Amino acid sequence: MAAQGSPVPPRISPIDKHGRDIHPAVIAAAEEVYARALEHGLKLLGDPAVVVDALEQVAAAVSRLVRTEAPPGAPAIKNLPGYVFRAFVRHVNRLRRRQLALRSSNGDGPPHSTDPSHALEMKILLDECLRQFDVGARDMLLRRIQGFSWNEIGKIHGLSGHAAEVRFGHALRKAQVRLTNGRRSLPCTTRLALTDELKPAMRRNAEK
Amino acid sequence: MPRNKQRDINEDEFFGFAKSYLSEAFPNPQRTGCPPDSTLIRMAEHPSEQDAPVSEHLTGCSPCFNRYMEILASLKQR
Repeated sequence: MAAQGSPVPPRISPIDKHGRDIHPAVIAAAEEVYARALEHGLKLLGDPAVVVDALEQVAAAVSRLVRTEAPPGAPAIKNLPGYVFRAFVRHVNRLRRRQLALRSSNGDGPPHSTDPSHALEMKILLDECLRQFDVGARDMLLRRIQGFSWNEIGKIHGLSGHAAEVRFGHALRKAQVRLTNGRRSLPCTTRLALTDELKPAMRRNAEK
Repeated sequence: MPRNKQRDINEDEFFGFAKSYLSEAFPNPQRTGCPPDSTLIRMAEHPSEQDAPVSEHLTGCSPCFNRYMEILASLKQR
């Protein structure tokens, strides 16, 4: 009785809505993350058609990357489904941000803690941090989330507490700058982001 | 002083948000691509030996994130 071959019909079209081809390996990767992507996308975008469309657009963009010959020394994509999923999350963030901007173009006051757009901005900043952070900065973030003090974090990384705090602040600042490049500014989320206020010598330490 | 106080509150807010978001936003019931527990423990104890793909996985898989938080909490208590 059971149908032979693939039990799940393909859900990702081989061509996105702009007519761009999607590489078969990327289609397979997108199919692999489909359920997670749909669940995540529905929370923010609401419409399954929009979510699937977003996934296909991401798959088309990743396909272009896969087809392009990587320059020498550039890291290859090791985990294609993971890469597609992360790219999808970022794309959904952009779409959601656009939706919010359309809904409340008069939001010129400071963000409030009960304001959903404030939570979204924190989410976008967090995603940007996770995308940009190196392994060390990501570890610092996770330990800080778990309530480690900067002294504890510094100790495990072979740094002073202050150096760990400054290093993390520098990474966070970079993420903020990249995120706000040409767009409206995000709130200064933590005091760690203010490495610009440090003396030049301390800034040099932070960059090491 | 009030300015510093406000920034501290924002810091708590950001890390608090990160914890609640990462612990719920990426359900992975099939545990696709999850590393073994021993890898997470080694990462928690020796951050300098961290594996970049595993580190990335942690922030895109809520079950692994929650497990890693448990490991870090027990490490902190030691």
